Amino acid sequence: MNKISVLLVAAVCIALPFAFAGNAYYSGLAAYAAILALFGLSVNLTVGYLGYVSFGHAAFFGLGAYAAGLLVMKVGLNFWLALVLAPLPAAALGALVGFASARVGGAYFAIATLTTAEILRLVAANWIDLTRGPLGLIVPRPRIPALEGLGLSFHQYYLAFCLIALAVAVEIVRRLINSPVGRSWTTIRESSALAESLGMPALRQRVINIALSGALAGLAGALFVPRTLVLTPDLFSPTLSATGLLIAILGGKATLIGPLLGGLTFAILPEALRFIDEYRIAIFAVVLLLVVRLQPNGLVALLPWFRGRAKALVLQVDADASAPIRFSPADTLTASNLTRRFGGLTAVDDVSLTVKPGELVGIIGPNGAGKTTCLSLMSGFLEPSVGQVRFGETEITGREPYTAAQSGLVRTFQQTALTPHTTVYENVLSATYTSIPETFWSSLFQTSSYRERERQRSSLARACIDLVGLGARASDEAGSLPYGEQKMLSIAAALATRPRLLLLDEPAAGLNHTEANQLSSLLRRLREFGLTIAVIDHNLRMMMALCDRIVVLDRGKLLAAGSPSEVSRNPDVVKAYLGPGRKKEDARAHA
Amino acid sequence: MTELLLQQLLNGLTQGMAYALVALGLTMIFGVLHVINFAHGEFYMLGGLTAVLVTASAGLPYVVAIALAIVLVGAVAWVVDRIAVAPVLDKRDGPSTVLLATFAVSLLIHQGVLQSWGPTPARVEGIPGAISVGSIVLGHQRLLVLVTGMALLVSIELVLRRTVIGKKIRALAQSAYAAQVVGIDTARVRRTTFIAAAALAGLTGALLSPVTLFTPAMGQHVIINAFVVVVIGGMGSATGAVVCGLALGVLEALASIYLPQEIGTAIIYALLLAALLVRPQGLFGSARA
Repeated sequence: MNKISVLLVAAVCIALPFAFAGNAYYSGLAAYAAILALFGLSVNLTVGYLGYVSFGHAAFFGLGAYAAGLLVMKVGLNFWLALVLAPLPAAALGALVGFASARVGGAYFAIATLTTAEILRLVAANWIDLTRGPLGLIVPRPRIPALEGLGLSFHQYYLAFCLIALAVAVEIVRRLINSPVGRSWTTIRESSALAESLGMPALRQRVINIALSGALAGLAGALFVPRTLVLTPDLFSPTLSATGLLIAILGGKATLIGPLLGGLTFAILPEALRFIDEYRIAIFAVVLLLVVRLQPNGLVALLPWFRGRAKALVLQVDADASAPIRFSPADTLTASNLTRRFGGLTAVDDVSLTVKPGELVGIIGPNGAGKTTCLSLMSGFLEPSVGQVRFGETEITGREPYTAAQSGLVRTFQQTALTPHTTVYENVLSATYTSIPETFWSSLFQTSSYRERERQRSSLARACIDLVGLGARASDEAGSLPYGEQKMLSIAAALATRPRLLLLDEPAAGLNHTEANQLSSLLRRLREFGLTIAVIDHNLRMMMALCDRIVVLDRGKLLAAGSPSEVSRNPDVVKAYLGPGRKKEDARAHA
Repeated sequence: MTELLLQQLLNGLTQGMAYALVALGLTMIFGVLHVINFAHGEFYMLGGLTAVLVTASAGLPYVVAIALAIVLVGAVAWVVDRIAVAPVLDKRDGPSTVLLATFAVSLLIHQGVLQSWGPTPARVEGIPGAISVGSIVLGHQRLLVLVTGMALLVSIELVLRRTVIGKKIRALAQSAYAAQVVGIDTARVRRTTFIAAAALAGLTGALLSPVTLFTPAMGQHVIINAFVVVVIGGMGSATGAVVCGLALGVLEALASIYLPQEIGTAIIYALLLAALLVRPQGLFGSARA
């Protein structure tokens, strides 16, 4: 955040309370808008950035409110201190619910949040000793004598605190979404397989996101306490959850400004529309339906300056952008006795092979030979039924796929996998997650060494884009690229993880002759830079010319291995490709 | 005490049949469309409402109510599919958009009934009379629920295994892409599945409303329980939905002997979270990545 924005926000935080001086109604409404915006921001974290719909964010909001209220009433803490502690239980609950549901998917998250809010509502209503149940926990207005001594009214400094909390929360989210952490959320949201292949721990990042979302909702709930003063189980009501969801979606998913617009709308509209109060929920529902059908991007999309945002993104690239990339030497990849069965089908049958440092190994075989399964086994994406894979000293088998990528063993996919609605540059930049790593906290505090590493990430990304020949396309939307260039982009992303061994799954499939040649020369260059490569492909002409060593699979079994000329003379290989009874000359002609 | 337990077991089985049938529809929609239909509970409620309107308000026999519940709820589901499911299904973020759209629909249906009918519960005259063995009483209506429920479960199984549409549905559940390749009209199979599952929920609502009383909130209650059932049973698993649905009904009824109702409900909801933590793919689900 630059200095001008900081000053501007500070000015608003100070000026607004004075602008409403003496008018408790308007300043109360403004504080309420800020709380709703904060709540919407929290919902937007999961719905917008993670793609996880929540039907129970009131669980976190209500827990924050009750935590603050109970700390004041039962522990005797000062409210403003309690405000700092209140988000913690909500964050822990977020982590728990996130961990429980994110392993199985977004639909489960929606259900888990819904039931969590119901559980808390029932507990709050029935644990009379603690919460006074439906009667409500009454919390006195937390006045600050020192500030009132300066002539400020409660409404003024309450509004100021709400605005400051909102500003801090927006800044936290802004920093994170522009950091490796937030970029990984976008990738995970698009495809968790892609994210894992680039070394991003999808589950852990989802849990972090949901815990942060819980904390922000808890903070919103705690801030709501001085406005309501009576805490009832209704704080966990589905209506409140629906309101948060609607604020995020109406305002604009995955934007920072959206929840602010949504929060303002939802603070003002119900007041303005009091005469139709009984139809409020029905109107909410119609609005929600209209938004998801007609304007999925929300109110933000109606703002004129927002429309061209993606296109207008200016790249911040340093002069030394295209510094040559060096890859650290690989370890030997050893697959021993790999077998993988799917039901009755044995896709890979007792295959042992090694990829030595510096080699360019090709894996070929007719359709259904088990090549892709073999690659998935070697990259840790599939568990073998029998056998094991080692990368140097590192055990690959039986661990989360992202750990393979983090140890330098990176795969690509046969179908192009990328984040289509972000630019080429952003796609590759997010893939630097593993090569120049950050923690959640370093992404949050963004010290000068973080900024230096961010520059390194930027130039690494740029160098990888240039290397695959997409330099001119850097600011285009990834999904708009032609097929061949999308394939090159996925290689660029894989390179940005600084792999030591790259496993390519049919990189030439669907490429025309020129593109296939470009790919060959790219792979040769990569090997000169010290990268070890194993590649699956059907383009035999390219493979024979390119690879040091060829491994042939047929019906799940290892058929032959050796130099390209040895393999092409092997009678078994000829038979596998051309069927029995053909002559070797035919095989050569086809190869 | 034994008699109380047995009585509650019978009552629980009736309620459990409702959970099983609603959850079965939910899980079929999930299996074929890969989306959660949040409005599914409201289809159940609309079935109950139809029964009230036909019997109490129009004075027609209960059998007519059952038939009309199937037809009317099926028609509503056709509209819902047209406006909230089919058009957004294949868009970017399809599943979460459908979840949101059907959530909006569920609010609309619920509010519509609440505004026009009011929150008051209503009695539905079902089939009068009861069988009693000792002090245990099984009302004819409950018997009807159990028998019809079993018949429905068996015929759904037969339809899925033996008929062309059943085979198409199972093909689509395996792979929508492969189904399309072999010439199955996937859009049509999806629509059929959605409407049939909704009609099933409507029929269940009409069957249960004489037992439980009709209230506009009955859909919201049943949907959360159905969610618990499909998560514990395994999303997409028909066996899981039926077994866990019946078990949940029985568990709820037995718990009500010892615990205040709201505490029992909270514990059942907590089971869902515990199930997710321990066995996220569900009891009857196959392990996925």
